[in-house]
Parts: sequence; structure tokens; C-alpha cells
Amino acid sequence: MSIEKWNLKKSANCFKCGDATIHDVEVDTYTLKISCRDCGFTRYYKFHMVETPAQRD
Amino acid sequence: MKAHLRVFVEVENLGKAINALTDAGITGFYVLEYKGLSPQDWKGFSIKEDPKSAISLIRDMATDAVLVCSVVEEKKVDGIVDALTESLKGEKYTILEVPIRRIIVNYGDQEKAERTETWLLEKDVQCFYCGEKAIQKIKIDTNRAKIWCTNCGTTRHYVIKGSEKGWDDEH
Repeated sequence: MSIEKWNLKKSANCFKCGDATIHDVEVDTYTLKISCRDCGFTRYYKFHMVETPAQRD
Repeated sequence: MKAHLRVFVEVENLGKAINALTDAGITGFYVLEYKGLSPQDWKGFSIKEDPKSAISLIRDMATDAVLVCSVVEEKKVDGIVDALTESLKGEKYTILEVPIRRIIVNYGDQEKAERTETWLLEKDVQCFYCGEKAIQKIKIDTNRAKIWCTNCGTTRHYVIKGSEKGWDDEH
């Protein structure tokens, strides 16, 4: 599984500072990172599993 | 006055029960999975009191079942029971109606709840699994995230690993 890195943006209230601001969302094959442009608070997610249509049938 | 409606059904009838409850006008519910023995099945049994025997008996004898619970207006109960009776005709089920004397709901820190809402994003790219260019939906919660292809349904799951303090805390 190899996936090109995606760089997305999301306007939302920051979990930490509470300000309505832009968050950078970086999606990679094995990681997902969200950072607040205002305060720098960052949340990291790690890859857990992949579910394919064949597994559901 | 409100009532707590508890519907005990076998796992295979869960869908039927939920659909009947929904059609009859419930606004929300919660579900608990359990293993149980009905009085007919249990009659005449006695078990050895060591934990191993008790657990093996539950594993071997008990039936997989589901409890669907909902808080409803008392005046709606009869209609809901009729709908369930009709939908679960011929199936095994038990319905309990428990009167509620008081309900206390705390919505917690509303401001914090607003900050932790679920985010939904989209990206139109080639799916790594089916190879088609399709919308990839991204759902991000506080503790988990998932990305799925709207063409083939392949889903990647992510879990929270940690967080890093912002700039303000470093100074």
C-alpha cells in the first residue's frame, strides 16, 4: 500500500486554543497529522488497519 | 411521564426490532450485546461454583442476544409495543416497560464539545485499491480517523498516537 501524501485544509475551532482557524491536515500512508495554524497544537494519528470490500463479503 | 423501554431479542432479529422501533417513532436508542439463558432453558440447572465451570457453562449454553433500549413518551409505548409485536411475530422476544421518575442530563463542556466535533473532508484522487479516480472521504474524530473510497469502499483506519503542544506552551 503506497499512497501519495495529501495536504488538506480544514476551518474549525482548535481543540486547544478554541480559535476558529485553519488546520493543516497531512495524510500519508501510515500517518495522519492535524495542526492548528494559530497555536501550533498538533494531533498525530497512526495507521491501524485497512478494510477491503472482499473482507466485508 | 417517560418510560424506559427494554426490548430483548435474539441477534438475528435486531434489524427487525430497530426498524419497528424507528417506524413507531423512537428518536434514539442504545444497544447492549449479551449472552443469556431464558427461564425455560435455565430450569433445573445448577452450576459448580468455580469460575471456570461458570464461564464454560455460559459459553456453551447461553444464547447470543441483544438488548435494545429507548426512552420514550409513555403515551407512545402502546403503539411501539404493537409495532414490535407485529414485526417480531413468531420470534422470541421480551419487552420491559420501566417508568422513569427523573432524568438528569449534563451536556458537559459545550464549548469543548463544539471543538471536538467530527470533521469531514474529501479528496478526489485515484484510490490505491481499486485504481479508480473517485472521491476519498475523510472522517476525523478526536481519537480516530478513517478514509474510504466512494467507489470501492476500501477503508483505511487510523488511531490517535499523541499530540504536541502548541507554540504558546513552549515560551
